Amino acid sequence: MKIWGIMATLVIIFALAFVFSSYYTVSEREQAVVTSLGKPVKIIVGSMKAGEPDEALTEVQNWLKEKQPSLKVKVICGAGLYFKKPFMDTVHVFDDRLLAYDSAPTDIVTKDKKHLFVDTYARWRILNPLLFLQTVSTENGAQARLDDIIYSVVREELGKSELYEIVRSTNDPILTEETRLLEEVRVGRAKILEEIAKGSREKAKDYGIQIVDVRLRRADLPTENAESIFQRMIAERVRIAMGYRSEGEREAVKIRAETDLQANVIRTNAYREAERVKGQGDSEALKTYAEAYQKNPEFFQLWRTLDSYDKAFLKGSTKVVMPIQGSNFNKFLLSPR
Amino acid sequence: MTGQRNMRPFDPNELAASLRFLPKLLWLIPIFLLLRIMFSIYYQVEPSEQGIVTRFGKYARSTGPGFHFKIPWPIENVETPSITEVRRIEVGFRTIGQGSPAQYEKMQKESQMLTGDENIVLSEFIVQYKISDAKDFLFNARDPETAVRDAAEAAHRQVVGDAGIDAVLTSGKTEIQSKTKDLLQTIIDKYKMGIQIVAIQLQDVYPPKQVEAAFKDVASAREDMAKTVNVARGYQSEVIPRAEGEAAKLIAEASGYRAERISTAVGDADRFLQVLAEYEKSPDITKDRLYIESMTKIYPRLDKILIEDSKEGILKYLDLAAPAATRAAAEPVVQPQQPQQPAARPQQQQK
Repeated sequence: MKIWGIMATLVIIFALAFVFSSYYTVSEREQAVVTSLGKPVKIIVGSMKAGEPDEALTEVQNWLKEKQPSLKVKVICGAGLYFKKPFMDTVHVFDDRLLAYDSAPTDIVTKDKKHLFVDTYARWRILNPLLFLQTVSTENGAQARLDDIIYSVVREELGKSELYEIVRSTNDPILTEETRLLEEVRVGRAKILEEIAKGSREKAKDYGIQIVDVRLRRADLPTENAESIFQRMIAERVRIAMGYRSEGEREAVKIRAETDLQANVIRTNAYREAERVKGQGDSEALKTYAEAYQKNPEFFQLWRTLDSYDKAFLKGSTKVVMPIQGSNFNKFLLSPR
Repeated sequence: MTGQRNMRPFDPNELAASLRFLPKLLWLIPIFLLLRIMFSIYYQVEPSEQGIVTRFGKYARSTGPGFHFKIPWPIENVETPSITEVRRIEVGFRTIGQGSPAQYEKMQKESQMLTGDENIVLSEFIVQYKISDAKDFLFNARDPETAVRDAAEAAHRQVVGDAGIDAVLTSGKTEIQSKTKDLLQTIIDKYKMGIQIVAIQLQDVYPPKQVEAAFKDVASAREDMAKTVNVARGYQSEVIPRAEGEAAKLIAEASGYRAERISTAVGDADRFLQVLAEYEKSPDITKDRLYIESMTKIYPRLDKILIEDSKEGILKYLDLAAPAATRAAAEPVVQPQQPQQPAARPQQQQK
């Protein structure tokens, strides 16, 4: 009887396994390929969120029609609960989401023979899971394939461009009034990135991979070149600093010269004005004198001459020989009559 | 194979005995499952969250904040991402110590980049974003935060690559911030991750250490320039007023001179006119008076030699030299004003 117990347990276990193996779920984050004994029978793609909702569906259907017309595969769009033949069918689950690709920084040479360390990243998704399964089969395989594709496209596109085309995007850069950029940008970084994305997209299609975006996350100069850039930056700053200082000197000299000139003008004008005023005083005085003295010129003569005697004859400086009788003043020295 | 243990023959009794424990253990499994199902029949969505319910992995519905019921596991599952929280990515640096002041570590590889005029600059910034569509955020990308970080670095470098270094360090910061935000949003929209960029905030933007001194010197030079000009302006504000002061003084002195001259003239003229009036009343007397007054003043100053009228008209010999010098030294310099008898030389009458 115990055997029956064991048998029963085993049957239960088998039944459970049967049940669990007859269904599977595909979440919103997943897509799947169902193979029956190795042959693909069903593809479940996610409903596309980026782009048209049925993009993946139509893409896979078209691909099947063109490239694999003999395959009888059912293509379904959407997540949820699905059923399969237990034990016989295998479900290969793939991520339906945007996946990351990141390369290590690589050295590329630009058209003008300059070296650049570029660090590219890409965002991709598995668009055609069956093709993906057939070609690279795992994400690791995909990463290796993407390495090749992206590296070669990046190298090619960047090798076609000069360094400044890779760094800059437009002819309308953000500048201060002092800086002026000289070279005209004909292509620019944005367009180059588009070309890279376009080129990689084409090549990745062969693996059922859709490359959504490729970008240069970093693009730096190698250390030796960085050194020479630093030297140039320093020299430029030195030049600018000198410019400021000499402009200051120039301005200061100008201000001083103008100041001296202005001061001179002020003084000269004042002197002229002062002389004029003094002249006014003189002429006014002379007029006053003349008006007065003209009233009696003869008396004026006496008056004035006496006054000037007072000023002309100073102590002890003049010898005078004078008559006694002949002078009205002296004559009284001899007698009162 | 060697080293095998002794294999006992298969004993179904023993097997059955040990299997008897199994049922007891096996009962644990359904108990756990039952508990799990029970607890998964309800869920709570916080105010800042949104509930996304999937049935067998397929999106079923979105629910708002509050307490909700659902079909239990394994049929329905729920995720509750926070959709109002503003998330933050640091690029070019990391905060290693919270608190104030916070401590930072610089990540040079992340912050170093080329400018449009082929200079090198280091730029640290913060990306603030939030979930705008919970479904897209959960289902469309495997690692949305890394995607934002990568795109942010690429966008910022593209924008800075289109700017001159002076603009990057000074006046262009606002424009660079907004252009980076716009470009980043465009890229993120392409990825359909349901993320909205709230802001890009530049933190520290500075030139590489190797050129730091030269950049600082430019700032010093600008200061020096201002200082030199200021000193000159100081000179200007000192010299001009001084000149104006001198000018004013000159003119004032001239005015003073003029006033004095005029008033002196008026005074003199007045005095003359008064004397003239007197003179015109009695001319001879006035003449004599004036003359005598004058001579009274002047005679003391003169070195006089008085000579009697001589019919011969010959000037008699006199020793004029030495005595005059002696006398000049002996007498006081200030002449008293009252009329004195002229200190005449004793007449030498030579007959």
